[in-house]
Amino acid sequence: MELLTDGLLALLTAYLAFRCMLAPKLSKTVFTFFAFGLILALMWIRLGAVDVAIAEAAIASGFMGVLLLDSLRDFSPSYSEFEDNIEQPPNQVAFAKRSLSQWVPAIASGAGLLLFLFIALQAVREVPAGGGLAAFAEAKLPESGAEHPVTAVLLNFRAYDTLLEVAVILMGLLAIFAAGGIRQFRKPSLPPAKDPVLRKAILIFTPLLFLFGAFLLYIGKSGPGGAFQAAVLWGAIGILLHLGGWRIFNALSRRMRRIIIIAGPLFFLLTGFALMARSGTFLAYPPAFAGFLILIIETLAAVSIAAALTAIYAFLTD
Amino acid sequence: METWEIYSLTSVVIFAIGLGGVFLVKHFLRKIIATVIMGGGVFLCFVSFAKRDTLNFPDPVPHALVITGIVVAVTAAAFALSLARRIHKITGEETFEEKE
Amino acid sequence: MKELPASVLPPLLVGVPMLLGMVSLFFKIKRRPIPGIIGSVLIGVLAFAAVVETSRHGTVIHVPGGWVPPLGIVLRMDPLSVVFISLTALIGIFIGLYSQMYFRTEEGAKVRFPLFWPLWFFLWAGLNGLFLSNDIFNLYVTIEVITICAVGLAVLSGEAKALKAGLRYLLAAIVGSMCYLLGVALIYGSTGTLDMALLGQVLEPGPTASFALIVITLGLLIKKAAFPFHFWLPPAHSAASAPVSAILSALVVKGGFYVMLRLWTEVFGVSLTFAAGQLIGVAGAAAVIWGSWQALLQTNLKLLVAHSSVAQLGYLLMIFPLLVLKPGFSTDSADWLPAAWTAGIFQVMAHAFAKSSMFLSAGIVVAALGHDRIASLRDLVAKMPMTALAIGIAGVSLIGLPPSGGFMAKWMLLKGVFLSGQWWWAPAILIGSLLTAGYIFMLLRLAFAPAREENRFRPVPIMLQVCALLLALGSFLIAIPAEKLVVFLENGESFGRGIETVIKGGNHGNE
Repeated sequence: MELLTDGLLALLTAYLAFRCMLAPKLSKTVFTFFAFGLILALMWIRLGAVDVAIAEAAIASGFMGVLLLDSLRDFSPSYSEFEDNIEQPPNQVAFAKRSLSQWVPAIASGAGLLLFLFIALQAVREVPAGGGLAAFAEAKLPESGAEHPVTAVLLNFRAYDTLLEVAVILMGLLAIFAAGGIRQFRKPSLPPAKDPVLRKAILIFTPLLFLFGAFLLYIGKSGPGGAFQAAVLWGAIGILLHLGGWRIFNALSRRMRRIIIIAGPLFFLLTGFALMARSGTFLAYPPAFAGFLILIIETLAAVSIAAALTAIYAFLTD
Repeated sequence: METWEIYSLTSVVIFAIGLGGVFLVKHFLRKIIATVIMGGGVFLCFVSFAKRDTLNFPDPVPHALVITGIVVAVTAAAFALSLARRIHKITGEETFEEKE
Repeated sequence: MKELPASVLPPLLVGVPMLLGMVSLFFKIKRRPIPGIIGSVLIGVLAFAAVVETSRHGTVIHVPGGWVPPLGIVLRMDPLSVVFISLTALIGIFIGLYSQMYFRTEEGAKVRFPLFWPLWFFLWAGLNGLFLSNDIFNLYVTIEVITICAVGLAVLSGEAKALKAGLRYLLAAIVGSMCYLLGVALIYGSTGTLDMALLGQVLEPGPTASFALIVITLGLLIKKAAFPFHFWLPPAHSAASAPVSAILSALVVKGGFYVMLRLWTEVFGVSLTFAAGQLIGVAGAAAVIWGSWQALLQTNLKLLVAHSSVAQLGYLLMIFPLLVLKPGFSTDSADWLPAAWTAGIFQVMAHAFAKSSMFLSAGIVVAALGHDRIASLRDLVAKMPMTALAIGIAGVSLIGLPPSGGFMAKWMLLKGVFLSGQWWWAPAILIGSLLTAGYIFMLLRLAFAPAREENRFRPVPIMLQVCALLLALGSFLIAIPAEKLVVFLENGESFGRGIETVIKGGNHGNE
């Protein structure tokens, strides 16, 4: 039975990924991508990775999906790669030439891809058992200041990676501004939603999302959840408010916006330096305060990431 | 065949679909989605090994790596999306191919 | 691993640029060069301290959080990484000074320079992190930091051409990092560790390790624009504004080479075969000839310089066939290894100096003329002698004429090629140099030629020209302390090491 579930999920994901690439319409690609992300989240749960499932559903499927959906407004949703010569008058010569020049590279790359897939499957089938690091993580867990092993790895054992990661979001935001112009929050273009029901619904959702995010953040200490998942929920608040016409980012001064977005990575980095000044080791939490420090770092990181996600959305929909 | 084996084999299939997609599809949006699908394959590969190496709990290190990876990959994809939309806004183009 | 002395410099080298990037956001746009210049100098001081530290203690490490591998991450600073870090710092300072002036010129002001400094500092942090990292997943994160910041810088001008080139660059880079990450996943699955030092001991040869090697190498080759994957480099590097082009061409692409050098010599020894090295060499030789030939055909200065980068990066790949030893040879019996390593390091340095100088000079030409058509370079010598001199000096180093750093690199490469008996690489090296001479002398001939019509050269701040000239001179000056540098590098373990292969069945390395 389990095998059947897994097999079906596996087939479904592969099919959806394939459909995603070949769906005739762009809008269909985006919706298929949503479905792909949700099935992937189910697979994470099957694999016992609840944290990853939440992150996948919230960030990769949710946030990315919202951005993609919004992009559909820009790009012509009925754009199709495969039907572009249907409406043209049938011109046999041109058609033959075109199909030959299209098919030879397509077949060649298809064959190359199959070869790649074959070698890859072989490599994965014969992967030696490495044993993983579960035993190490379990042994060191009491010293880490977190009860949940994933949180311990993210914010203590491999905190240096996570610091870079939190900074990457900031860099991504700056890079997006760089691509689109610096005067981001000035001109409102997307008209705010006028529907009173929608606005009311958003207002009801806001505290719920906030509480649920705070819950995920707090529970991250002992169970699945944590800064990134909470951040996306809080980011969703920003996005919803933006949709409803409350441009919270406009209400804040430029300096304040910057402070909120930078607070998380800045505090993380400064904590690292402060601890280095104390003990000579970067990000070495004293075991007694580890839990407390991790919670503060996570909270600030979550606020900053949420703000950055809202800013990315607000900027892109502009 | 165990659960993790099914998923680790699936992961390379998804990766290959994404890889093929990046090169073969034309539209910016699809190319970006293809890179995210590639990422999904890679992360599935990580997590399937974590399931294999379960003691009292699944190996937490790959889980943490995947969360980091998802965030980084989505940031890069969001940036790519902003570039694509900007290009579309300026030139009206939706693919890399030169207009005839 | 544990007996290596600890040092606080590695986290500072990563954290300080990152801190500066965040702090610079709080400065008013007009004032950002102040933290920019001061910060660059500060990083330069740190890099100098790193040189002192490693020449005194050899390799030093830092373990963030005190969690030793396999659970934690180690930052390792050895002479090889210090050479890359100080090269980045040195060139970074000059580019910073240059950009400060450049963005005030009419041409430079088109660029959204407010974001230059924050992005450049984050990029700097990423580069330093890459050079210091000893963990293959952490390498992925630093690679992505570098990619996002580099593309962000490349599209600063906001023009359609730059945006399109930037998107192409970004997509290629994402595909490269995903390929790399797949390899990391397989390696972690088969060994349970991500630390490079441990991996070197525990990685077993087999189909998984070979496949991981293939995808990782493939990913890095895409990142460093090696021959079949070079398509994204010329448009991206030529469409960016001049200081950014210099950063991308001189520093960013070197990151891919560095990671590949590290992984091949320290991790993948067991899965490599002589044929794999030869294959990389072929890609390098093809890049040398193709890139130089394309450069010769260009009519725009920046495109010419960008294509020249493809060629010069090809030389870097040509040291890999020399590093992978035939079965039966060991590091001690292969006497060409020091030459090959010296060639690689000098090529990195000479190209970094010469190419940054070329791009900065191209920026000066653009600032003066408003465009960069090569035909308009006539009479450059009379109008802007310093820039003409910079192009000439940098060009001589790119060709590889004595006594430049480029000469050292190519001479050592030839020496290694002949000592190892792999003479078949020599023609590619020589043809590449001839073609390079072709396009450099074409530029110089035009620069000396009298103007046909009156070209209007706008006045350009003298500091810009000084920066470009100093960088060009740098590509000569590095040849002077060459012996000291080699002695310094030999402090480290990896320098001069070959990749020993044993006879194995199967055809690994079929990229």
